[in-house]
Amino acid sequence: MTSPLPTVKSAAETSANTEVTRPAKTSGERPASRVRRHLPTSPWLFAAPGLLVVAVFILYPFVSTVVNSFTDRRTLIPGEFVGLANFRELLHDDMFWTGLRNSVLYMVGVVPALVLLPLLLALLVQKNIPGITFFRSAFYTPVVASIVVVGLIWVWMLDERGLVNSLLEAVGIGRVGFLSDQWLLLLSAMAVTVWKGLGYYMIIYLAALANVPRELHEAASVDGAGAVRRFFTVTVPAVRSTMVLVAALSSVAAFKVFSEVYLMAGPNGGPAGEDTTLVMLVQRTGTGLTGRVGYASAISVVVFVVTVALMLLVLRADRKEDA
Amino acid sequence: MPISRRALAAAAAIAVVLPLSACGSGGDDSGSTDASGKIQGSITFQTWNLRANFKPYFDGLVKDFEKKYPGTHVKWIDQPGEGYADKISADAAGGTLPDVVNVSPDLVAPLAKAGLALDLDKAAPKYKKEYLPGAWASHQIPGMDGTYAFPWYLNTGPLFYNKGLFRKAGLDASKPPKTYDALFDDALQLAKKSKGKVATLANVPTIEDFGRYGAPLMNKEGTGFAFNDAKGVELLTKYKELYEAKALDPQALTATPESTGKKFLTGAVAMNPGSALDLSKFKKEAPSLYKNIGITDQITSTGKVNMYVMGVMVNSRSKQKPAAVAFAHYVTDAQHQMEFAKKVAIFPSTAGSLDDPYFTKQDGSDETRVRIAAADSLKSAVNYTPVLFSEQMKTELRNSVAKALQGKESPKTALDNAVKACDRLLQQQG
Amino acid sequence: MSVTEDVRVTTGMTRKPVRRRRAPRVTDENGRRIRVWELVLRYALLLAVLAITVGPFLWQLSTSLKGTHEDIFSSPPTFLPADPTLHNYERVADTIPVWDYAFNSLKVATANVVTNCVGSALAGYALARLRYRGRKIATLVFILAMLVPVESIVIAQFTTMRELGLNNTLVGVVLPGCIAAMNVLLMRNAFLNLPYEIEEAAYVDGANAWQRFLRIALPSVKGTLAVVAIFAFMGAWDDFLWPLIVLSDPAKFTLTIGLNYLHGTFANDERIVAAGTIIAVAPLIILFACLQRYFFRGVGEGAVKG
Repeated sequence: MTSPLPTVKSAAETSANTEVTRPAKTSGERPASRVRRHLPTSPWLFAAPGLLVVAVFILYPFVSTVVNSFTDRRTLIPGEFVGLANFRELLHDDMFWTGLRNSVLYMVGVVPALVLLPLLLALLVQKNIPGITFFRSAFYTPVVASIVVVGLIWVWMLDERGLVNSLLEAVGIGRVGFLSDQWLLLLSAMAVTVWKGLGYYMIIYLAALANVPRELHEAASVDGAGAVRRFFTVTVPAVRSTMVLVAALSSVAAFKVFSEVYLMAGPNGGPAGEDTTLVMLVQRTGTGLTGRVGYASAISVVVFVVTVALMLLVLRADRKEDA
Repeated sequence: MPISRRALAAAAAIAVVLPLSACGSGGDDSGSTDASGKIQGSITFQTWNLRANFKPYFDGLVKDFEKKYPGTHVKWIDQPGEGYADKISADAAGGTLPDVVNVSPDLVAPLAKAGLALDLDKAAPKYKKEYLPGAWASHQIPGMDGTYAFPWYLNTGPLFYNKGLFRKAGLDASKPPKTYDALFDDALQLAKKSKGKVATLANVPTIEDFGRYGAPLMNKEGTGFAFNDAKGVELLTKYKELYEAKALDPQALTATPESTGKKFLTGAVAMNPGSALDLSKFKKEAPSLYKNIGITDQITSTGKVNMYVMGVMVNSRSKQKPAAVAFAHYVTDAQHQMEFAKKVAIFPSTAGSLDDPYFTKQDGSDETRVRIAAADSLKSAVNYTPVLFSEQMKTELRNSVAKALQGKESPKTALDNAVKACDRLLQQQG
Repeated sequence: MSVTEDVRVTTGMTRKPVRRRRAPRVTDENGRRIRVWELVLRYALLLAVLAITVGPFLWQLSTSLKGTHEDIFSSPPTFLPADPTLHNYERVADTIPVWDYAFNSLKVATANVVTNCVGSALAGYALARLRYRGRKIATLVFILAMLVPVESIVIAQFTTMRELGLNNTLVGVVLPGCIAAMNVLLMRNAFLNLPYEIEEAAYVDGANAWQRFLRIALPSVKGTLAVVAIFAFMGAWDDFLWPLIVLSDPAKFTLTIGLNYLHGTFANDERIVAAGTIIAVAPLIILFACLQRYFFRGVGEGAVKG
């Protein structure tokens, strides 16, 4: 989640793709085939720059990663083919399981919050009361700022003597070691992820909400349904597909979490490394002059496989819902 | 520390993939060690985070060298502090390592093993006598013959303590602890009197702490680690006691050097290791602390303080080896080290330099007092951190120590596990 | 779940305030009057969320404006600098050539915006509109590329760049991300949502693919293009890892790497660092503030349909 925004956006597109293609296809089919007859080369010319860049700078390096995962390569020493040895070692590596646990926990913790809170926020800024454009933009600020700046600011805020603890003490709760306890650290990092994601998902929900037919709400009000009931009987069903989308985006991003935990818990991943996530483990094992590139590549491959599996899972769930 | 953390955060998985074609060729021949020949041509010199404060010094240094050896051209580049090892590994793997590189002993080891560092015992033995023997030896690698970098500057420093906090705890602020036992007693008292609000130490023990406490770090052959002996277990047991009494800061398990510095500044921690340079920082950032600052010697059981060593390495694949060796020596010779030492609170590694009046004559200021004490202690100082102790090993030790402090493992088990893991990593390094 | 539809409506929504702003009474989107207590509650909640989302940035700003003699570690904290000063910003400029670095960042970010807009619009159009063999495979290539965790391939990218002789150049900084897969897919979606009839008319008039792209399709997806532009700018401006690896000459450093010098081996001041982070963040916030209208519209591209 080094740059959560692009990741998130991109994921949004993938899952949205399948849907969008359908309606467009019917209208597009006929004229498009005529185009092919007249302009046999231009489509490739159009797509060529993009394909070239992606193939040379993304896919080729990725293939090397996969190849490396079957070697014992180190940073300065070319490795030899070791078959599945790296993957076998993973099974017995406590730190790998800790990483997997934390990445999964992160997902479990962050996703419900990011599905629900931005929806409530969108409802709050939906009504066009004076100044609301300002609020909408302001709520988006954390999305714009780089994750590093964000992480630093929050480390400073959650410090034992930081702003948050001063306030807690003033209210009589007393100081809390947000940045020293294994679980509080993970929770704090999750809170930062949610904080930074609020604005982004709020926008997605705003778009979806505007799509809810007014008549539904009106009918419900006439029936005497209160705000809470209308939320569950009208709003939630209407934006359900968007909620699935948000769940998909945020779970993929959460599984690959790196920056938040790295910045809050430190490079070592909190006390005794107990807060290490999978991508952090990739970074720690694979970097530096003594980095175990082969082993780290194997972890990367695991991350990749799980990510793809998550996407497929959500897409499938969504398709079922559509039907 | 804000942006520097960005560096690390971003340095995510830097070396994860190296295409098979572009890596250093491990053990095979990596160019001759012959550095004789005419000193000429263009070379690149890379320093480690020195540009911000010392640009004029290095510009002058380069100019003087070029004047002394006509026909040479030195390009000086400087890299940011964080991510330096990652930058070097990227360059080493990609074959773009500069000709002359500022390194520390633990950075040299993997480079030497990959055949990228020039053996100075072969290429430039005549310079050996110009340096302190201990400093020269600090870039030798167990299991390998040779010396792989010129020693450059040394650093060590005293222990700062907050007199105000000592007084509040009913301790004599003019008598700081001199031994580990005294340190542990004072720490427990400070914690008790402040009801756990004031810790004395902010860092978990690192490999150098075990060394200073007197635990052997490696076996005699340099083939395995040994810090899990009785001394090591004793130190960790003590730290556990401190941790439970909150005499070791509760956030120590996740601390970074920046965060502990900050804690000392805010008076949450009573003692902090530092260097002469920190004094001006205290003066500027925490004037109230500065009035109460106490300075004492590093605590050791061995009588030898810890020092940090910087080196200057020559790339064995440099196309201009004579010029590269000449320049590396030029940067680290007595005259230039002395000049550099006067610009910043570091110490020269050349023989005899520490006897200069600058390091022996008091002028009444705190800075000078700290400097002289440090220079004196350097004569017997040791770089405790083993050259072969890699980042991954530091992580293993740190995690094991944390488990022991939290009570998840006994100190003995924790250290045994750490030694086992480090030995395994050592073997893999080959 | 279609982003398309969702988004279309946002457009409608964001336009509404313009129409209603001068309405004497505060009404909701249905034109009904909002009760006063509800209004108060809404503003209270809005302000609370505002404090949570924007407050931390202001705190950082405040730190950067505090003078050397003000104790920034004091507890309880002081929110307003007692004696606001820009001195810390000057000190940033004294320590590093911050304006040169900012200029380099600007060059990289601008180039990134141009290449991404052009490249992904072209590719997106090809994927969405032009029918040819291999279109599905091409789409799949972009989707796959998007799923690759970037953190794990940086060194391989570096060696590729070195083989091309482009390491240590600003061109090398731009290249790997110059046509991001996700932007291509973003554009593809936008084009897919355009009603085909418009282009069909042009086609009947004898316009070729290039003309249809340039004159008809492209102008209709300006909003999405704005989103791509903002993402491209933000991405390039915030990036750290890649420029760090590919650049070795300090004269070519971008702002994010350059600011790293503020954390010297020998010196370090929280206020300067705060000033540095503000310098890094402010342009983005200003940029976003200026473009937010297009941005919110872009997120809702597809409005042409309705």
